[in-house]
Amino acid sequence: MSDLLANLAMGFHVAANPYNILFCLLGALVGTLVGVLPGVGSVATIAMLLPITFGLPPVGALIMLAGIYYGAQYGGSTTSVLVNIPGEATSVITCLDGHQMAKQGRAGPALSIAAIGSFFAGCVATVLVAALGAPLTSLALLFGPAEYFSLMCLGLIFAVVLAKGSLLKAIAMVVTGLLLSMIGSDLETGAGRMTFDIPELADGIGFANIAMGVFGFAEIIRNLELPPESRDILKTKISGLMPTRQDLIDSSGAIARGTLIGSLVGILPGGGAVIASFAAYTFEKKISKHPERFGRGAIQGVAAPESANNAAAQTSFIPLLTLGIPPNAVMALMVGAMTIHGIVPGPQVMSKQPELFWGMIASMWLGNLMLVIINLPLVGIWVSLLRVPYRLLYPSIIVFCCIGIYSINNSPFDVSIAAIFGIVGYWLLKHDFEPAPLLLGFVLGPLMEENLRRAMLIARGDATVFFTRPISAALLSTAIILLIIAGMPKIRRRRDEVFVE
Amino acid sequence: MSEDVNPSPKPPSFGFAISNASNLRGGSLVALCGLALLVATFYVSSPIVPRVVSIALILIGLGVVAGMVPIRAPRDFYGGLVLVMLATLALVSSAELPGQRGFAFGPGTAPRLFAGILIALGAAVSIVGLSIEGPQIEKYKIRGPVLVLAAIFGFAAMIRHLGLVPATFLAFMISILGSTEMRWIESVVAAAAMTLFCVVLFVYLLNLPFQLWPRFY
Repeated sequence: MSDLLANLAMGFHVAANPYNILFCLLGALVGTLVGVLPGVGSVATIAMLLPITFGLPPVGALIMLAGIYYGAQYGGSTTSVLVNIPGEATSVITCLDGHQMAKQGRAGPALSIAAIGSFFAGCVATVLVAALGAPLTSLALLFGPAEYFSLMCLGLIFAVVLAKGSLLKAIAMVVTGLLLSMIGSDLETGAGRMTFDIPELADGIGFANIAMGVFGFAEIIRNLELPPESRDILKTKISGLMPTRQDLIDSSGAIARGTLIGSLVGILPGGGAVIASFAAYTFEKKISKHPERFGRGAIQGVAAPESANNAAAQTSFIPLLTLGIPPNAVMALMVGAMTIHGIVPGPQVMSKQPELFWGMIASMWLGNLMLVIINLPLVGIWVSLLRVPYRLLYPSIIVFCCIGIYSINNSPFDVSIAAIFGIVGYWLLKHDFEPAPLLLGFVLGPLMEENLRRAMLIARGDATVFFTRPISAALLSTAIILLIIAGMPKIRRRRDEVFVE
Repeated sequence: MSEDVNPSPKPPSFGFAISNASNLRGGSLVALCGLALLVATFYVSSPIVPRVVSIALILIGLGVVAGMVPIRAPRDFYGGLVLVMLATLALVSSAELPGQRGFAFGPGTAPRLFAGILIALGAAVSIVGLSIEGPQIEKYKIRGPVLVLAAIFGFAAMIRHLGLVPATFLAFMISILGSTEMRWIESVVAAAAMTLFCVVLFVYLLNLPFQLWPRFY
């Protein structure tokens, strides 16, 4: 315990250096500004801003990157709320209720709650990272490929359970996402799969292209065919930027639970923050007395996933700093940044460069504080974006998304792919398919396949390995139980409908 | 509930009478796609599963045209069939990839595995569409989608050759035509402002290597 305090004190000493505070503030500010642009998520933001950190000292550079990360993450959820375009997979779920709140004129409270929830989650997760970093490393070491595969199955089942409408269709969407993720070069042999001999497809389809297509472009196309007066955000009056006392009371439980779930799930590598936000939302919906409010602008539906993804975003530094495994795309960029500064991520960081390790942990907390300070006053500015008439807003979003996609790889082909997924998303809407599970399946697909292949190879082709290894069996049975529980009331409701007819 | 959405629900008919226009259109589309997939299977070496599925699709499509298929929820029915087609296409396109060798998965194993699962799931969704009443498919609009997509594809086509400024301006102008409320002067001003903003942001602030104007060789 005294070790922990001494370490944290050292961390804060490093982070409280005026230069480092400045880097942190700058990172959070720039990250938010870029992240708030529709279609530019945290991965793209960090990738774009990585070069400016090259000239800084290593600690300052990493602190600034962490600031950019939180800022962009927060900015990404801002676009989820305001224009229904998730900047990142982690804020997909925030769209569901956040955008509904915005449509009801409550964009301000939604954004404030997201900031407050994130800050609370950040505080708790920082302490957790500091306290549990070392012991949890040993738990993460118990995970073999079979366990990872089962964990991802569980994550996907979570995604399915939370989707609106038919369970069957949600599962079908997950599998469609998995299948789409296999397009491109095979990880092990390099063979081109389902590329139809198009060279640009050899690298696969980018996550950002699909996300912008099925969420951004499809939503715009959809909105255009509605009569102007029913068109969501612009006509509603925006009442109050700050959450009311009732909002705070309503969301406090959700924030606490979201933080807990996020911290736990984030430690496990493999899209931790994504699964965390989905899991927190599902859990919140299941225990709520009014589950019917979810998807219609429930503030808990914003508070829980936003707290969870922030907590998970922080605890996902644990695998990076302790095992050297980047659990998501952002962390992979962090690995790149660390390598450029001559730091090899892995267990030795904690022992060899304690200042860097603890300084970074302390700066996470600082970064979150900055976010609240920066964003609560700025909420008004983001919200005023909604006052722009839709007929001018949507071409701007389209142009922005186009430039954003193009800037990732300088590839016009990527822009066309996003357009194609715009059509796909429009079709999905017409047929009552949910795009969120598709996106999650797509994100987890490559990891899932890789671990499935490894697990099968290690088990010498014996598929029962997923049920004979205890952790894996526990994860899979949780998934199956979840599916059954989720299926039951639906089956019952379906039956009721049939009986009425 | 379905009564409100769908004012005149068709009673499921098992007769042979050529049925209404939507069945004719939907069924023939399904049959045509099935036919295209069937043709595609002749270009690959191990096509048994996709060939069987595409023949089944043709038969289902013809059945719909003939009014023999009692479609209760067209959104689910056609939605499921499209997933089946997608999975079949995946099967065809990954047919040439090497499969499992010993204990090791080949590059083709996982795509075929997931495509197989998707065929089953898509079929299940379609069957649900036959057994539970659901709303009709909403009409697809033409103007909005076409112009929005034209703007995006146009941007993709222009950015390399014309540079950022013309591409942004034109994409903005094309996409704004998709709305019925567009006004010319306002739109041109907004497009110019947006172009300026993007140039300042992406090129000067973020330092991205974009070409601004057409390059003349």
